[in-house]
Amino acid sequence: MKIGLEIHVQLPTASKMFCSCPTTDAEAPNTHVCPVCLGMPGAKPVLNRKVMEYGIMLAKMLNCKIPETTWFSRKTYFYPDMSKGVQITQYDNPVGGKGVYYLHGKKPIGITKIQLEEDPGKTKRVGDQSSLVDYNRAGTPLSEIVTDPDFSSPAEAREFLKQLIADIRHTIDLPGDGERSIRCDCNISIGKERVEVKNVTGLRNVERALTFEAIRQTKVLKAGGKVERETRRFDEERGVTISVRKKEFEADYGYINEPDLGVFHIGELVRSITIKESPVNMALRLSREYGISEKTADQMVLTSMNLAATFETIAKTTGSPQTAVSWATGTMAANWKAFEASGKDPKGIVDIMEKFAAGKITDVETDMELKAYMTGADIGAIKAQSADLNQIICSYLDEHPEIVDEIRKNEKAINRVIGHVMKETGGRYSSSDIVSATKGALASKL
Amino acid sequence: MKEILASLPRLNDKYSIFSCITEDAEIGDSEFLFSAKDGMTSKDMMTRCGSKILDGYRPTFDATAIERMRNAGGKLIGKCNMDEFGFGTFSTTSAYGIPKNPFDLERSCGGSSGGSACAAAVIDGHISLGASTGGSICCPASFCGVYGLVPTYGRVSRYGLVDYGNSLDKIGLISSDPERIARFLPVISGKDTKDSTSCGQPKLELKGKRIKTIGVPEEPLAGVSKEVLSSFESSLDALRSMGIEVNRIKMPSLKYAMPAYFILATSEASTNLASFVGMRYGQQDGDLSLKFDDYFTYFRTKYFGEEAKRRILLGTYTRMAGFRDRYYSKALKVRLHIIEYYKKIFSEHDAVLTPTMPFVSPRFDEISKMTPIESYSADYLTCPPDLAGMPHLSVPCGYNRDGMPIGMQFVTDHWEEDSLITFAKDWDSAFDVRKPEVSL
Repeated sequence: MKIGLEIHVQLPTASKMFCSCPTTDAEAPNTHVCPVCLGMPGAKPVLNRKVMEYGIMLAKMLNCKIPETTWFSRKTYFYPDMSKGVQITQYDNPVGGKGVYYLHGKKPIGITKIQLEEDPGKTKRVGDQSSLVDYNRAGTPLSEIVTDPDFSSPAEAREFLKQLIADIRHTIDLPGDGERSIRCDCNISIGKERVEVKNVTGLRNVERALTFEAIRQTKVLKAGGKVERETRRFDEERGVTISVRKKEFEADYGYINEPDLGVFHIGELVRSITIKESPVNMALRLSREYGISEKTADQMVLTSMNLAATFETIAKTTGSPQTAVSWATGTMAANWKAFEASGKDPKGIVDIMEKFAAGKITDVETDMELKAYMTGADIGAIKAQSADLNQIICSYLDEHPEIVDEIRKNEKAINRVIGHVMKETGGRYSSSDIVSATKGALASKL
Repeated sequence: MKEILASLPRLNDKYSIFSCITEDAEIGDSEFLFSAKDGMTSKDMMTRCGSKILDGYRPTFDATAIERMRNAGGKLIGKCNMDEFGFGTFSTTSAYGIPKNPFDLERSCGGSSGGSACAAAVIDGHISLGASTGGSICCPASFCGVYGLVPTYGRVSRYGLVDYGNSLDKIGLISSDPERIARFLPVISGKDTKDSTSCGQPKLELKGKRIKTIGVPEEPLAGVSKEVLSSFESSLDALRSMGIEVNRIKMPSLKYAMPAYFILATSEASTNLASFVGMRYGQQDGDLSLKFDDYFTYFRTKYFGEEAKRRILLGTYTRMAGFRDRYYSKALKVRLHIIEYYKKIFSEHDAVLTPTMPFVSPRFDEISKMTPIESYSADYLTCPPDLAGMPHLSVPCGYNRDGMPIGMQFVTDHWEEDSLITFAKDWDSAFDVRKPEVSL
């Protein structure tokens, strides 16, 4: 089974791709329009620079080759919602070519290309005999990401999309409903011929459409039939794909270069743009560079990318990633929310950890100093509290040395300690305090 | 100016210059009158590009060039007849009247900016905005015995110019008076954020730079009529007597310019015309209960002229999958080659000179017998500079036995309009330019 995807993502610009009309939802049809996006004779498109910047950021995120020069092309086909009768898209030399993206950091998915293009308007059927066209959407910037046929199952395609969307959201600050605006063309072949299911919206539907197609094609082949190369669409209600047109009717788009926009020399711009590291990539890198488990790295990044970054600083300055990770996932993670709300500098945390690494303070003191710094609580109160908690935990551990052995084998056994302490203290301490105190106490015993 | 305004309807009856004349007879604060080819959008008058398909179209915005002329004190008196969307050499494919040559009403004004050249020839001290894709300013200027300047591609904003071949289209000026061209070129030039291709230009400076050496390519002269050739040769003598060095040169590659031009122009044109489907502007007619593609087909079949349809077919063919590399992509390469080729010549000569058209303006009955290839071929001298985006100028340089004007065409390097304008002024005092008799 071979599956490839073409993913359309709306880019979060304030104005349209080639004019200054807003991209926000309009109150009435055909109000966010102007001569340019209506394709009035004589009007000319002028590129919104932000679109090119987003394109470059995504191309970098997908590890694409980015050319020194890029340009736009005209794709010609007749449809009422195409105001110009041509769509401005990219054909030769798109903003990104030949890239690779790692699913779960492991499986490489080839990126054929990423291109920039404008969205057409919307056609709305009213009654049996007529349709209305709304050009408010016409000229909204999209990026189209085309993958190689590297997925081996519908579920894998869905997983990829999920990860991709999270990454895109992070990289270009896509708004929360970004997923809704993502449309997908799904290519799937069980045998030799490829079938394209056009315009599927949402992760779940992508998996459903692909699964239906996989089963349908398998049945056709098993019955000795031939899968026809064609374009189909997905009926969400019924969960089936329906043939739209056969291969011999595939349009010839007659691409030419878009002469009104010229050639863009983007080399300088490409070099000036750096993208934020994606959560997935950061976790993978931390795991690789600091020898910590992927799960732990994931957990830190999921708590906060800033926590993960602070961990990295501590690991570097102290030279001990293992110590850094146990504190980062312990006391620091437990108090991270409060810390971020306080707006304090992570440097304070690093300073405390340096003192600890230099042997100037004990682990108990470190724990208390961190808490005081991160939450802004009085250190005296924390000391008293901590001493109390610590005493309860330590005496329990001293009474049950077999638990320490057990935790060495299976870290989940820590829950027995926590459960005991919770019962003992009866709600005097927050669960996160208990967890971190327990971890802290164990750290010196393991 | 008032008298001119009042005479427009009568002028139009005689010459069919305008597809549309201003309804505002007041001069007001206006300092000068101007006209514009109907391929440029105007808020106060219809813009129909010589095509039935745009009948009734009243744009919501002025073309930048028109807006700049108005801001400089100009009053737009009318929109000039033209070949449908610029597709022609004789302005005979216009749906709103075929302009008649002021030197002989049985003959063509040339095209596609035929109405503009006619206005320049018959209205005293008039300036008209024309547009050139492949000879559309120089040809009619030559046929009507006036000056026509096509600036460098990108010099004048194309915003509001209804596209023919976007990578070739240029707005320029036509007038019987070179001083007028010198005055108004700076008005319409300059960057315009509404047209990206206007934003890379260096500043226009008119400093009176002179052409000192000229290269005259030999090959193109073989296709020129005897009367044009003899007038051209005597003009070369006149140039020498003005102190200009005239050298015979070889430019064999120029012959590839015309096919490359037609491929690029029709490829682009066929995509531009895709927006005319009878939905959003202009003519609307037909059975709306048809499926959309049936309606589009009905509408386009009915309202596009023959030449527009021919160019849509040609241009669609040259960019089809499987043919694109052979035609469209190759033509792009030829264009680059021709540009390099000119640049090489300009390292040794200030300008390249040829006759503008291979013959004087033909009679309408002769034109109706021409095959499409014959009329396309008439542009073989004007296409090369237009393809290369080089500025070029047609000046009157003689008259045949019947008194029909003959023109010659200067081409200079990109952005070198200065020396063309200086030359036009010098030539105007050295050469006896005839005015047609205009009796109403």
